[in-house]
Amino acid sequence: MPDPTQQGSAETKEWQPDVNMPVVYFQGVSKSYGRIHALSNITLGLSGGVTGLLGMNGAGKSTMFKLIMGKLKPSAGEVRLFGTDPWKNPAPYARVGFVPEHEKMHDWMTALDFVSTFARLHGMTRDKARKEAIRVLDFVGLSDVINKQIGQFSKGMRQRTKIAHALVNDPQLIILDEPLQGCDPLARTTVMNVIRELGKMGRTVLVSSHILSEIERITEQIVILHQGKLVALGNLHAIRERLDEIPHTIRIVGEDARSLAKDILGHPAVFGLSFPSNTELLIQTYHFGSLHSELPGLIVNNGHKVTLIDNPDDDLESLLGHLTGGSA
Amino acid sequence: MSDKPTIWRALDRKAMAVAEFTLRQQRKRLSTWVVMGVGFLAMAVLTMFYIDSMMRDYEAIDNDGDSRDFDMDGYPNGQEILYGTDILDSDSHPGLLNPPVAPDDPSKWIDEDDFDIESLAAGSYGYDDDGDCRTEEKTASQQDTNNNNIPCDVKVTEPSYYNGFDAGILGDRGVDEDPDDDSYAKESIHRAFVLALGKFGFVFLIGIFVPLFMATGLVRDEMTSGTMHYMLSKPIARSEVFLYRILGFLGLAWPYMTGMVVLAALVTGFFGPSDGFFRFKDLGVWMAVLLASLLAILVYAMLFCLLGVLWKHGIILALPFAAWELGMILTTLGAPDAAILRFSVIGWAMNIVDAGAALAWSDTSLLLELGLWAGGSNNAEPLTGSLALEIFASDSGLGLTPLMTIVVSICVMLFQAATCWFLGGALFKSKEID
Repeated sequence: MPDPTQQGSAETKEWQPDVNMPVVYFQGVSKSYGRIHALSNITLGLSGGVTGLLGMNGAGKSTMFKLIMGKLKPSAGEVRLFGTDPWKNPAPYARVGFVPEHEKMHDWMTALDFVSTFARLHGMTRDKARKEAIRVLDFVGLSDVINKQIGQFSKGMRQRTKIAHALVNDPQLIILDEPLQGCDPLARTTVMNVIRELGKMGRTVLVSSHILSEIERITEQIVILHQGKLVALGNLHAIRERLDEIPHTIRIVGEDARSLAKDILGHPAVFGLSFPSNTELLIQTYHFGSLHSELPGLIVNNGHKVTLIDNPDDDLESLLGHLTGGSA
Repeated sequence: MSDKPTIWRALDRKAMAVAEFTLRQQRKRLSTWVVMGVGFLAMAVLTMFYIDSMMRDYEAIDNDGDSRDFDMDGYPNGQEILYGTDILDSDSHPGLLNPPVAPDDPSKWIDEDDFDIESLAAGSYGYDDDGDCRTEEKTASQQDTNNNNIPCDVKVTEPSYYNGFDAGILGDRGVDEDPDDDSYAKESIHRAFVLALGKFGFVFLIGIFVPLFMATGLVRDEMTSGTMHYMLSKPIARSEVFLYRILGFLGLAWPYMTGMVVLAALVTGFFGPSDGFFRFKDLGVWMAVLLASLLAILVYAMLFCLLGVLWKHGIILALPFAAWELGMILTTLGAPDAAILRFSVIGWAMNIVDAGAALAWSDTSLLLELGLWAGGSNNAEPLTGSLALEIFASDSGLGLTPLMTIVVSICVMLFQAATCWFLGGALFKSKEID
């Protein structure tokens, strides 16, 4: 990644971020379209690290990003980006990279053209923009195809081009709206690695998704939106801990499910067992956290051979269901 | 060049980046080339008609009846008038003079005395080329039938398009009385065509329709397709995006318009009537046409882009406006000083063209009036070409000198463009983009 002193925009000289404010700050923000409330009364501040923004389709993730990017005006409350109102002043975007959800790109351009043209909007010279574009395209793993037209790209390549375009100004804040959607497994891994790497560099990264397991592979720090409301914010495991009192299912696949069941049945947290097949065991528990941490010991001490442990209902829907008391 | 960042250098980089991007984007679109191709074809067809009218011979008409022989004595009336014999008495003809004069071929008395005009102003003009006024047979009072104490001249009083038929022109009998129909027709048709093509072809048709099809979507299309997100997630104000998109459009539309006007100037310069191989005296008019059409494209592009931002079907708002402008350009032909023209774009553009024409062809109004006067005899019809010239030539409506008219009109059109930019930028800024 480039060093931050390379920024050449005049705006960055004039405009200064407010260091006492979080990078992204929402204070009582609501956004409604007529009678539809896309976001209601959101208050949060985000700085540093990777944050996953989780929510079903229509939960308000994109609305939130568009508010940050000054595309929408909040119906109520304050949005601050580096301490500045983004609806009124585009200057903070000198430090922001945005990967929109939209599929549409300028298909007639080559990847290098696309990234370097928009890099020049940061005030870079033609040569500088070209140099930076080559650098970020290499960073996202597209160095072989920089002179190919975007129209000929696969979905994953297009997604990575969009990410390169967002990184060209070496931003402090990177926002990615559903970056994994439609990516093939290989592109998915590349994009995830890029995001994790950005987090390690100390950048503030905001990633939205509606798939919990995807976000889990990237970060533990999450924000959950549901029907425009903020339902949970913080560490994913801490959120799960809070859900201890709620029945959970743990699925174990091993050589002999029945002998494993005998050893587990005595555990106080377990209230139900079932065997969908000879090699599969489903455990019902009210204390997910404690059982989950003790399970590996139980299995190893009793010499069981286990190939898989997972939580079949631990997707976003069931998590939301518990968080919202079943209204999801 | 130092690389120290300044506001201007950064602005310049952004402006060039967006303008270049827009230019390339337009170039990639088939519709761009279709619109421009249709524009070129339309102008080419009009020019074909012009070339045809320049290649054609205009029938010489005996405007004053001098080739006829009322008394059937074999001598045309003109020859009898020249020698002072009676045109109605067959026993009075130049053959009876001493020494006797042989009768002329009647065709010699068609187009026998062309207009002798140098420049436009009230005063005394004309020269009796065929000598039928200067003849010694005539008394001083017969040589000065218009009573201005100058023998054998044409008296012109304050020529204007509104004086009506020959009201401002009174010639001494026999002076410039039978102009050369062919040369008059070519000169006036040429001027009428230059004005018609300049005003209706370039300023109106291309000036409106190229921005209509290419500029209305400059911002709107990006908003609808979602690609605007890339541009707007950069540190650039929306009014800047609006302006630089227009600049990119002009980067294509202005050279296109310039090329077409230059081509038209070359074609009409080579085919138009002139003593040399090229008609240099039209260049001033073409420069005015170019200036007016470039400014018109600028104002219309700003306006149509604004309408596109206002509503996604902005082209529907632009069409009634184009109709309004058509009404206004027609108004400039008949009533160039109508106050309503101040509320149009085309009215100001026409001021520039008319002022340019007044500078380059200072004698157009006299030429026009002479054509309507057609020698002044009672049965003279307006000369071929004079009606066409009457339609397309008009005074610039501001009542200022031509140069001042051009300066004022440029300022007004730039102000119109700036206003549209300001409004369009403000409107764009207030738009939420989903």
